[in-house]
Amino acid sequence: MYSGPIVDCDVHHARNSDAELIEFLPRGWREYVTDRGRAGNVPLTVQDGFPNPHGFMRADTYPEGGGEPGADYPTMRAQLLDASDVRRAILTFGDDSHLAGHHNPYFANEIARACNDWSIERWLSRDPRLLSSIMVGSQLPELAAAEIHRHAANARMVQVMLVDNPFGYGFGHPIFHPIYAAAEETNRPVAIHGGAGGWANPPSTGGGSVNTYFETHTLWPQAIQTHVVSFIAHGVFEKYPKLRLILIEGGSAWIPSLLWRFDTEFKGLRREVPWLKRLPSEYFAEHVWVSSQPLEISPKREHVVELLRSMHLEDKLCYASDYPHWDADEIDYLSSRLPAEWHRQVFLENACRLYGWNAEELGRPAAAAEKAT
Amino acid sequence: MTYDVGPISDFSERRFRIVHAAGHEIGVLRWQDRFFAVHNRCPHQKGPLCLGVVSGRLHGGAPGSMEVDDETPIIACPWHGWEFDLERGRALWEEGYAVKVVPVRIQDGRVLLEVGRSAAEASP
Repeated sequence: MYSGPIVDCDVHHARNSDAELIEFLPRGWREYVTDRGRAGNVPLTVQDGFPNPHGFMRADTYPEGGGEPGADYPTMRAQLLDASDVRRAILTFGDDSHLAGHHNPYFANEIARACNDWSIERWLSRDPRLLSSIMVGSQLPELAAAEIHRHAANARMVQVMLVDNPFGYGFGHPIFHPIYAAAEETNRPVAIHGGAGGWANPPSTGGGSVNTYFETHTLWPQAIQTHVVSFIAHGVFEKYPKLRLILIEGGSAWIPSLLWRFDTEFKGLRREVPWLKRLPSEYFAEHVWVSSQPLEISPKREHVVELLRSMHLEDKLCYASDYPHWDADEIDYLSSRLPAEWHRQVFLENACRLYGWNAEELGRPAAAAEKAT
Repeated sequence: MTYDVGPISDFSERRFRIVHAAGHEIGVLRWQDRFFAVHNRCPHQKGPLCLGVVSGRLHGGAPGSMEVDDETPIIACPWHGWEFDLERGRALWEEGYAVKVVPVRIQDGRVLLEVGRSAAEASP
């Protein structure tokens, strides 16, 4: 089993109450949200989604003192950060991550700003191992770009995260490009997190809507596939040649099949996208990283390994726990499913390449001294 | 070996004409008074390549832009649309993947194919 240094690329931090976030809203928006008398507050989170019969959280992550999973730092520290040699953990928010599902784009933008400030003040201040995603209201891409620039000088705000899809077009559509221009200018990767494409907006599944969480969760990779194809077809990586992308919580075993098909389609349909200068798989290889969770469970371990190897994904997989969610992948489990010679790449080095960190330095035993006191 | 496949006037602009030489089916194209010849056999699934559409190469600069390079004729295979540059035979997505090119020269108003010779060998 792997016991070395770890970068965890998907840790969901949450809040216990609306009040925690409301205090980070500007006064006018606080007024809009609160003090509505018996009607209560305007909801801050998107009111939609499929119910999971088990709940969405690992049952043992509910803090002993009460509150929500992912909302209590000491619990997270004990269960995740100190439980293994975690050197860096990238925070990816809880239900607030779906803010692009809000119908009101101005409200979504303000929630994004509040989320980011809350993340910095309430979480990054507590532990140097913690880093945060930058949430953006992608309904208003110019304001989203401004929000990215607002955090440009904060090296611990490490990536721009997209989840819900406000427009129903793949994320490669030019309407989103101001976000990518800002991400490239500020040297931040863009993360597309599973659920993208319709947690709260029109279907995240091709062919039609589904009716159970079982179905939608099985089909989460479809939305990610749409966005990958859209990014490449619209020439996002030609337009923003330094942009990097990480796909979170969409699995990975489908990537070879998608890219094989994508390359073949390009040979016949290049006329439609002559701005592409290379095969789609070549753009993917240069620009796209993938989170490990959830690793598909093939009946024989070697089958999924062989699929991943066929696209050199051992160079691109980045460990993600998805703590505290119900479908999290444990380190011991993941390391038992992947070849030992991949472990250091998957648990440390690939993420370092993505985020521009020095893996050797971060992986040194001395770095453990950086752990929170 | 050199094959005389007819006078220039037998070849219409921008249209392939299929000829037979040395046991091969070869498509000969007149394009802006230049001549190109390739084997009528797509390297993908052996489709009749020269029955496809000929056009200038499409280029794109910024996403969304379409520009035509009329100096570079392209054939798109009628079966799957795979495109090849007729000057060198190379696929547009990979230089190492190509259809066989036959060197062409014009002499005394006649179109001559150098079958069995590579383009490099046929160069003066």
